[in-house]
Amino acid sequence: MARSLLDQAARTHGGRVIAALAAKFRDLDLAEEAFAEACLNAAQAWPAFGAEGGGEPRDPAAWLYSVAQRRALDMLRRRGVRTRLVPDPPQPPPSAEDAMIDDARLIPDERLRLIFVCCHPAVAPDARAALTLRLVCGLSTQEIARAFLVAEPTLAQRLVRAKRKIAEAGVAFEVPGPEAWPERIGAVLSTLEIAYAKAHEDAAGAGQHAGYAKEMLDLTAVLADLLPDEPECLAFAALVRYAEARRPARLDEGGAMTPLSEQDPALWRRPLIDQAEALLHAAARRRHPGPRQLQAAIHAAWCSRASLDEPPPWPTVLALYDALLTWRDDAVVRLNRAVAVAEVSGPALALAEVDWLDSVAFRDFGPFHAVRADLLARLGRDGEALAAYDRALALDPAPAERLWLERRRGRAAHP
Amino acid sequence: MQYALLIYEDETVYRDENGRAWREIIAQHEAFAAELAEKGLIRGGAGLKTANTATTVRRGAGQCGLHDGPFAESKEQLGGFYLIEVPDLDAALAWARKLPMAGDGSVEVRPVIDGTT
Repeated sequence: MARSLLDQAARTHGGRVIAALAAKFRDLDLAEEAFAEACLNAAQAWPAFGAEGGGEPRDPAAWLYSVAQRRALDMLRRRGVRTRLVPDPPQPPPSAEDAMIDDARLIPDERLRLIFVCCHPAVAPDARAALTLRLVCGLSTQEIARAFLVAEPTLAQRLVRAKRKIAEAGVAFEVPGPEAWPERIGAVLSTLEIAYAKAHEDAAGAGQHAGYAKEMLDLTAVLADLLPDEPECLAFAALVRYAEARRPARLDEGGAMTPLSEQDPALWRRPLIDQAEALLHAAARRRHPGPRQLQAAIHAAWCSRASLDEPPPWPTVLALYDALLTWRDDAVVRLNRAVAVAEVSGPALALAEVDWLDSVAFRDFGPFHAVRADLLARLGRDGEALAAYDRALALDPAPAERLWLERRRGRAAHP
Repeated sequence: MQYALLIYEDETVYRDENGRAWREIIAQHEAFAAELAEKGLIRGGAGLKTANTATTVRRGAGQCGLHDGPFAESKEQLGGFYLIEVPDLDAALAWARKLPMAGDGSVEVRPVIDGTT
């Protein structure tokens, strides 16, 4: 009982507590270790709360923070003992009363600062997202390893190296000054994009990324709040909200993925769409366009659909993809654009564009084969369509995507 | 924290007929060093003669051998360094950005071992 409560509290508050500790002590390892010790203390102390011998303090985050802070000071003192030989008076574990008093204290929200540390250009790009997910979102090494398709020891080593680099290179535990934002915010947003893409891929929201989709809503809100003059930050916060707003409509009753154009807008979460719209408008008022604003605008075009009776906004979507290409001419944008081309100008032209893309780079990219399969099927080239569906299915799609692909494949096999 | 700013650049850009490019970059380095000194940040540094003046002692398998050139043959060569004392990496990077350089090149920013780590 206390165990699961504690796990939940650690998961929910870990990011904030670790960020506050890291900001205070300027040492990521110390912050992590102290937080882990506080969790151990909590496992013993928390059953004492509540009437029936099980519960948690009123403000678990503040409790964990104040205990971890004490543990960190102990650790620093112990380190000092080794070099200065000063005796270290043992500290008793916090009593329930201590914790009650501590409840009143507020934890400063230092997550943004920690994000800037984790996403510093001095940190290897392949470690930035992992480190952010570990420290700020509280994901386990195992979960992150699975999300990035790397072996757990490899990922653990990457994290160790990144933390060592931050400590040894003297990365500042500060949100950088505005003069450094263009470069630094770019790194932060790219990192969060990678992190969010992992959460978004999973249409069912049941996989290991379910927790951090919510965390991303939180983090992007913090980012937008603290950097209200950075339109790309606002736009990214909008994008995450548009995408999360549609989550309830992404699966049909059979558990298969529902493509965007077939999703029932009645199922979308209106409050999130409203938030997203406000953010995107605020971004537009800065009159400083950028790729994330265009991506958010594509989401906005979809989310402006009131019901399935309205035609899908394909022409608008295509025009926005054309504009996006001037910012970000990469294969994934071109692939997504081709889907819109198929609706506006027909599948033949779309297929020509898709086949023009680098098929080597896309060899193991499921969506590429899924898009090709769909276009081939619409052109009546069923044999090739089946082969393409098989390629997509062989790449281990998530269960909801698999069901949808199998259904489409079935249709191509028995037209 | 102390950082070394290691300057790698193509030294041929300073090899013009009348030595003007060379005099110009030296003057710029003097101004740069003076700014660091004025702020009390400079701890050392040196400009190096061109890479063709280098002799390298190579050690391998317990043997020493001599090589009549720099450690690595490449277009960009180590041409000098500054040793500065600043609060953190970002401050060091900001100085590395300001460092004078006539053509393309790189400034490697390396923290200095301070005896406590």
